[in-house]
Amino acid sequence: LNVLIIVFTEMRDKLRKWREDNHRNSEQIVDVGEELINEHASKLGDDIWIIYEQVMIAALDCSRDDLAWTCLQELKRQFPGSQRVKRLAGMRLEALEKYEDASKQYDSILQDDPTNTAARKRKISILKAQGKSAEAIRELNEYLEQFVGDQEAWHELSELYINEHDYGKAAFCLEELMMTNPHNHLYCEQYAEVKYTQGGLENLELSRKYFAQALKLNNRNMRALFGLYMSASHIAASPKVNATVKKANVKYATWATNQINRAYQVSYARCLL
Amino acid sequence: MAEPELLLDSNIRLWVVLPIVFITFLVGVIRHYVSILLQSDKKLTLEQVSDSQVLIRSRILRENGKYIPKQSFLMRKFYFNNQEDGFLKNTKRKVVPPSPMTDPSMLTDMMKGNVTNVLPMILIGGWINWTFSGFVTTKVPFPLTLRFKPMLQQGIELLSLDASWVSSASWYFLNVFGLRSMYSLILGQDNGADQSRIMQEQMSGAAMAMPADTNKAFKAEWEALELTDHQWALENIEEELMSRELDLDGMFSQELPTGIF
Repeated sequence: LNVLIIVFTEMRDKLRKWREDNHRNSEQIVDVGEELINEHASKLGDDIWIIYEQVMIAALDCSRDDLAWTCLQELKRQFPGSQRVKRLAGMRLEALEKYEDASKQYDSILQDDPTNTAARKRKISILKAQGKSAEAIRELNEYLEQFVGDQEAWHELSELYINEHDYGKAAFCLEELMMTNPHNHLYCEQYAEVKYTQGGLENLELSRKYFAQALKLNNRNMRALFGLYMSASHIAASPKVNATVKKANVKYATWATNQINRAYQVSYARCLL
Repeated sequence: MAEPELLLDSNIRLWVVLPIVFITFLVGVIRHYVSILLQSDKKLTLEQVSDSQVLIRSRILRENGKYIPKQSFLMRKFYFNNQEDGFLKNTKRKVVPPSPMTDPSMLTDMMKGNVTNVLPMILIGGWINWTFSGFVTTKVPFPLTLRFKPMLQQGIELLSLDASWVSSASWYFLNVFGLRSMYSLILGQDNGADQSRIMQEQMSGAAMAMPADTNKAFKAEWEALELTDHQWALENIEEELMSRELDLDGMFSQELPTGIF
């Protein structure tokens, strides 16, 4: 057993890093956070409140209701009328599957402040948790009509549409994301995959182009590389294309194959080391 | 011929020039914190939030529309600019000019603004004038006409003195404006000690002239969007991509994180 003496500042900095990068490593957060709260509460100063929030959400993820309840009580004591704390209380009710109560909680927040996006989004996630995807989609659409700029919501909507196999609308959502984040290769890749799934010559061409864009933005995106190969060979194999297009696509597919081989060689070399 | 240079007592530098700088600076910092304390919450309506996001989306469409397929771009442009039911063309918001009389929160805001900014300036300006009067403080490096004499040489009754020699009151005012950049350095942008910015705001009309702006903003966006064309960035993407080999450096090199630390 390696017994390490972990310095308190290290723990706190780790938590901050996870908080800023939006990591969802809830078990680690619960381990570190619980110790920090129990042993070093006095040294944390004002940081402790945001750590309570972070640990509470992680505790809900790990079904640690006892820890979540303690954090919530502390926060309620310090910030009695706060909407942010109310939202956390609602999240706890959601974790306990008391969806009616949670919904009422969020409604009360929205009565005070109709512009509170967090409460609205939680209500939609309740619908999603209950499996009511059609309603969730409808609510999310209404939400997005008011808050057109919420990227998290657009991404969530695209996921919901993909689950419902409504690829056209999913593509629309991903287009919004691509416009707001033109350098994010993952959105390009997801868009290309949706287009590929939709099928049809035009969509395959689009998907090939967007796989290429994803590769251009990030040369190491293997999924995009495979996607490029698949879409190019698919087009080349289609009977409806003319000779020039076929030739061009065969060229693309060959290039992709070469790159894939190179990548395998790199990984093989790595394994040998 | 250069007029005879006046030699100022170095005590003036020590006990007048520097203290005035410190006083101005400290008062500015205090003003900043007081303004933070007195700040009232600006409640935005749902409509305002929504409109501002729509405007952002339209701007993004103009700037980054080239990353989405032409069809999609045209679809969105149509949604915004269509003659019959385009959003930007047809949405009119109720325009309520926020005058101080009708909007009580505006009134209190204005009063707070005045109290924190103008009042200290007048008080301290007067006090400095009274304390440090009767002598010349410094010389501005550029020549001034005689018209500036009564303004800049308050308390010094010399008719033949060059207008470049100024009194402490004018040194104080010089500081108020000069230390603005110092405040940005120390207090960050948008700080409450920035007087000239506040005065500019007051001069350029109501501080939160949102309602009238929304209609104008919509119109401006409509025009800009009309002019935008779609130049697809992915036209020749394959050629660009395949002109060179992929850079696979650093692939597969990250170890999987295990344990807590």
